[in-house]
Amino acid sequence: MTAGAATARRPTRPRRSPVVPLGIAIFLVISWASLSKDFGIGFDLGKLITNWSNLVTVLVTGSDSPARRGLLIPNFAFLDQTFEPMLETFRMAVIASVLGCGVALPVAFVVSRVTSPNLATLFGGRAVLSVVRAIPDILYALVFVAAVGIGPLPGIAALVLFNVGVVAKLLSETIDGVDVGPIEAARAGGANRTQTVRWAVLPQVLPNYVAYSLYTFELNIRASTVIGIVGAGGIGNLLFAQYQFFNWSNVSLIIIVLFVLVVAIETISIFLRRRLV
Amino acid sequence: MTAATMTGRPIRPSHAKRDMALLGVALVVVWAAVTVSIDPLKALELPGGIGLVFYKMFLEEGPDWSYLPKATSGMVESLQMAWIGTAIGALLSLPLGFFGAKNVSSGLASNIMRQILNAIRAFPEIILAIAIMIPLAGLGPVAGALALGLHSVGTLGKLTAEVIEGIDPGPVEAARASGARPIQIQRWGVLPQVLPEIVAFWLYRFEINIRAGAVLGVVGAGGIGFSLQQTLAFHRYPLAGTAIIVVVVATIVVDTASGWVRRRIIEGAGGRSAVESAEAMNSPLRADSAG
Repeated sequence: MTAGAATARRPTRPRRSPVVPLGIAIFLVISWASLSKDFGIGFDLGKLITNWSNLVTVLVTGSDSPARRGLLIPNFAFLDQTFEPMLETFRMAVIASVLGCGVALPVAFVVSRVTSPNLATLFGGRAVLSVVRAIPDILYALVFVAAVGIGPLPGIAALVLFNVGVVAKLLSETIDGVDVGPIEAARAGGANRTQTVRWAVLPQVLPNYVAYSLYTFELNIRASTVIGIVGAGGIGNLLFAQYQFFNWSNVSLIIIVLFVLVVAIETISIFLRRRLV
Repeated sequence: MTAATMTGRPIRPSHAKRDMALLGVALVVVWAAVTVSIDPLKALELPGGIGLVFYKMFLEEGPDWSYLPKATSGMVESLQMAWIGTAIGALLSLPLGFFGAKNVSSGLASNIMRQILNAIRAFPEIILAIAIMIPLAGLGPVAGALALGLHSVGTLGKLTAEVIEGIDPGPVEAARASGARPIQIQRWGVLPQVLPEIVAFWLYRFEINIRAGAVLGVVGAGGIGFSLQQTLAFHRYPLAGTAIIVVVVATIVVDTASGWVRRRIIEGAGGRSAVESAEAMNSPLRADSAG
């Protein structure tokens, strides 16, 4: 009887981990503090509702000027003025991707546990890389514009550093995960370190490297809106200038053109990446 | 002849496709480099110019520490914007992700949801801020947080849907077999499988939003970006140096903490880290460098 009852009884419920309620509590406290007027950004739902008319004005301004009809009424006559800045964005993205990915390749081998020559370069390289990655692209653009003036040059330089950070991190993680078999084979065949990297590691990570490079190119097209705002060239320059004159219909057209370019490049890039990896 | 072919080296595989692709890329790169409007002499000035700015920011008079409280409060505002933005994105993207997953919702509904999420994702935060959120919330961090939030819905929703599509169908069938209603199937069959990965994505998004938030300050949507832009535009380099140090330190601290939590969530206590260190010890190249 006792034995039968014992086996038929439900298993005892495992003790609940305190981690989940604790995590939720931390989330709620930080969110509340961030939203509050005293400690945080002062979120006010009422203001959003009363400002609703502002948004409507931006969407449909009621102005007769074709450049200012509103965000919902794009000014297609402005299209030919977007071509040159768009091309500049494209050129900047191409040059920055090539330079950034080129620099990132050797850097990735230095900061990967598998291929780094010694611990000093491994940890030193990682420290430098984490500083490079901690600086947002806009900050690079601001500093470089301060250094050499406005134009595509500071923009390209900013994108290059941004790309080195992204690709070196992704690629070094891929190198960390390579199959060690070929490395042992190369070493057994008498290869030195450079030869081992060239013939045993590089072929394993090359498809990923190309995929990351394509991904970086996509990121650069997107980032160009951002860095143009501080005067570092490309479509962002034009976008911000039109925004400052409240030419909402021109802004709208630029957004549409950018949208089409981003989606087109992303589609091609995803197709190529699927074939590669 | 036949014998020679049999015993000879195998024929080298053709690289024609690869070579064509490389040639195409090379042509595009050359075209871009030739047509871009950059004065080569100015390009040579770049390293010197950067060096000079760096010198003025950190070495000439050193960073100006009297700016530290202002820079810190700007950075805290940036972190709060990123937090609120991520929270908005997380809370909204979770249900939308379920609708976007083929195996949970229907084929048509998931397609429509995916297209909506893709459309949101295509607009950078900066455009969402200037076109929608600043008119709606006025200049300030609330507009920035909302812009980050809306963009995060797009990115997180897509990732959530992809994670849900990759689940093991077993628990879902078990829940259904024991009579669970549709919502209970999601709660007990799907959610426990996907939640760790999704929470890790939320944390990762928070790290990205901190960086993305920096640009929003430039257009007046709150955070440290405003201080950075003002100090650099008016050539107040020692102040800018302080602000940059604050950005770098705060970002690295948050990245490290968030990365640690993410690894804990995905791998559990002492999970892969032990394996990783073991691998590091046995790395053939490391052995080479030691010997």
